Amino acid sequence: MMPKLYGLLKYSVILLWSAFVVAPFLWALTTSFKTANGVTGGPTYIPWLQYEPSLTGWRSLFGGAGGIDIVKPYLNSIVVTGSASAISLVLGTLAAYGLSRFDYRVGPAKNADVLFFFISQRIMPPIVLAIPFFLMLQFLGLLDSLLGLILVYIALLLPIAVWVMIDFFNNIPRQIDEMAMLDGCTPFGAFFRVILPNSLPGIIVAGLFCIIFGWNDFFFAFTLTFTDAQLLPVAVVALNSSVTPWWSLSASALISVAPLVLIAFLVERFLSRGNLAGAIR
Amino acid sequence: MPLHLENLSLARNGVRYLDRVDATFRRGRLTTVIGRTLAGKTTLLRTLAGLQAPDSGDLKLDGVSIASVPVWKRDVAMVYQQFINYPHLSVLENVAFPLLRRGLKAPEAQLRAEATLAKVGLSGFAARRPSQLSGGQQQRVALARALAREAPILLLDEPLVNLDYKLREQLREEFRGLFAEETKAIVVYTTTEPAEAMMLGDEIVVMHEGRILQVGTPVDVFERPASTAVAEIVNDPPMNILPGAVVDGRIALGSYRLALPAHLSRLAAADYRFGLRATDLHVDPASEIAGSLVFAEISGSETFLHVETAFGPLALQIEGIHDIALGTQVPIGFSTERLFAFAADGALVVAP
Amino acid sequence: MNGSGFRAYKLAFLLPGLLILLAIILFPLIFTIRVSFSSWDAITPGLNNAGGINYAKLFGDVRYWQSLGRLSLMAVGTVLLQYLLGLGLALLVWREVKLRRFFRVLFLVPMMTTPVVMSVVWRTIFHESLGPANDLLGMVGLGPFQWLTSASTAIVSVMIVEVWQWTPFMFLLLLAGLLSLPREPYLAAAIDGAGPIRTFFNVTLPLLAPVSIGALIIRLIEASKIMETVYVLTSGGPGTATETTGYYIYIRGLRDFEIGYASALSITYLVIMIVALTIIAKLLVKVFIGERT
Repeated sequence: MMPKLYGLLKYSVILLWSAFVVAPFLWALTTSFKTANGVTGGPTYIPWLQYEPSLTGWRSLFGGAGGIDIVKPYLNSIVVTGSASAISLVLGTLAAYGLSRFDYRVGPAKNADVLFFFISQRIMPPIVLAIPFFLMLQFLGLLDSLLGLILVYIALLLPIAVWVMIDFFNNIPRQIDEMAMLDGCTPFGAFFRVILPNSLPGIIVAGLFCIIFGWNDFFFAFTLTFTDAQLLPVAVVALNSSVTPWWSLSASALISVAPLVLIAFLVERFLSRGNLAGAIR
Repeated sequence: MPLHLENLSLARNGVRYLDRVDATFRRGRLTTVIGRTLAGKTTLLRTLAGLQAPDSGDLKLDGVSIASVPVWKRDVAMVYQQFINYPHLSVLENVAFPLLRRGLKAPEAQLRAEATLAKVGLSGFAARRPSQLSGGQQQRVALARALAREAPILLLDEPLVNLDYKLREQLREEFRGLFAEETKAIVVYTTTEPAEAMMLGDEIVVMHEGRILQVGTPVDVFERPASTAVAEIVNDPPMNILPGAVVDGRIALGSYRLALPAHLSRLAAADYRFGLRATDLHVDPASEIAGSLVFAEISGSETFLHVETAFGPLALQIEGIHDIALGTQVPIGFSTERLFAFAADGALVVAP
Repeated sequence: MNGSGFRAYKLAFLLPGLLILLAIILFPLIFTIRVSFSSWDAITPGLNNAGGINYAKLFGDVRYWQSLGRLSLMAVGTVLLQYLLGLGLALLVWREVKLRRFFRVLFLVPMMTTPVVMSVVWRTIFHESLGPANDLLGMVGLGPFQWLTSASTAIVSVMIVEVWQWTPFMFLLLLAGLLSLPREPYLAAAIDGAGPIRTFFNVTLPLLAPVSIGALIIRLIEASKIMETVYVLTSGGPGTATETTGYYIYIRGLRDFEIGYASALSITYLVIMIVALTIIAKLLVKVFIGERT
């Protein structure tokens, strides 16, 4: 009798939480097909039954009626997130490999301190950096430019890349790199010919993490851009000001988190249950 | 005098891994380095390979210092005790990897890799990944990769230690054949096992706590160990070392007295440390010397008895399988004609 | 590896990343410290020497200290709630659940989706007359609530969004921790005749301590930066009821352009955060692992 009751409890709690998790997405989905009438008439949930669905919201994203153009911020987000992630991944992977394999000493600081410096950047509240970033980019003439944002995002993403990759490299026996050097590779050769091909899962996870954090940043994009280099979250939040275009707002919200849902599937594939804690630690 | 080590020292965190090491390794010879775990054997090989720079001292190949030549230019092949292969490459690609790195053309590298794989008995496995092989096969791949290069220096760091007993015996036998063909290379092979060191080595180097205690042929080292430490390291089980003395023309061990054998007859009266191998002790009901059995182990057709006597612990190796209750008083006979005499400081005085 | 010839390669691996991070992070940080000793504002921009006047002013800034208190409450409150919910869910599904992979993806989704974008959606949900929150709760006879317009509920609304977004993070980490626990201590506890509750407190919780501490600290660090959700949901309102420190500094610095003063606020905020998080980390270790004997 007990196990049955436990099973019932277990599944009802899981289903309840799942409902809570998907609720905002479902609400956004149904709202995105509404029109002004569908919204102002009070909350409704089921298309056709409770309101007449329309594609107005989705059309508005691509310059339709009541339009905001989502295409440009979307492309901006892809360019900034993509470039910053790629650069961070390259620099972070190299630095993580160095820290994992060699002994460094900078004054009194050793490897652990250097690693701490990298990772501690995640503690920094964005606002502390936003003010000097603003002045610095202004000085360099890079305010409201994609290049300026890419620079800022590298600082944001580099610690993540180092963090994921060092854990990964520490789990590859160092005899493998030594063997490659004995076989005639320079340390670079050993890294590129032997270590990198064996690190693909780690690089993918690190890359996905960089993309998630880059794509999700709002504050720097918000404070350091105005119109030209506007990124996706800023464009979506700009719709936040009034009640009326809930349909465009919902559609734009969904389209901007859609790639992340895809990434969630990928992350699940690469974080098998055993090394989940290890990869996130 | 091809490879010469001069006064090599290396310490980390207060531990001396190499302590003023001088040694010479010759071409076409296999030198086994024997020592217990942490004796500095691995550090010695890593220093030879260039993976670790010594704190002081020099390495010379044919009289030219190679201490500042980086590992990737040194042309040293190495086999680790862990089975280290490239997981992302096939067995054939593993063996061809160092050949390609050293400028061989692909077809030539493949031919040579295939030939070497045949030599280590892995012809049928060329297309597999190392992870699809057994431990013994993985180590053969590592060996093939080291052999295929025909490097002038070949280092093997306890290559058999992680294999099970039977496989170890088998591979050891194969190694002997493979190394017999190596007429040009300097081969250095580390091990903790006396039998392995004796069987494979043209020459044996005994290491202990970062120092070289003795260098010599297997017979030399086995028959004339320079000190009690060497005698313990090169015998398995370690040689029994008994503190005693020569008093009134007899050997005194605690309160027991033994007649001086002929080869020790000229020993002056003094304190000594007597050495006797486990095989030179036996159960002798007629003996008045006895000790209580603390531990017995049966290995194959032999039995090892560990006995506590009034003058210290003794290990006996006797033929046949014996089941003796722990605590039993075992009467022990000494083959005194096999006694080694060491001075109080451990240096060899007389060997049988 | 420290053989000869390694030195140049060693530096080539580490230096590019390290130098770029130093340039992008350390230089601005030092610059902020310098600016905090100037009276840079919209009317007289530029570096001058104003001594510690900003820091003196900050001590009397009630709105700043209130925002810090509010932030602490929200951070600790949400993280604790996330932990308890995450642990509860993890314990429930610890033993196998059907469709495990499906639920795992489902739980990964909120923590990966853009916080501000989801906050925008949540804001429509919390709309008092047109949003579903009051509508659905009304069906079971609750409410209506003034989700975003009353001071006390607005804080709760912000916390609900934070809990929605980050409980999955706790859940996944704790579940991974639970799945990797050794079996032996449970056998020992069963032999001792310990009931489920005693087993939980004497075996599970101590064994889970490292994962718990790690997850709590990561979340506390992130939560102490709360600002974006607040900006979207309430803009700090009603009044200043949901204004967090980051948001307040943003208003003073990048909206009112009191750069000098905002820099002083930033530096103080950062120092207080680091000190507080260090103390909390030590406390957590003490709570979970106990005094070292």
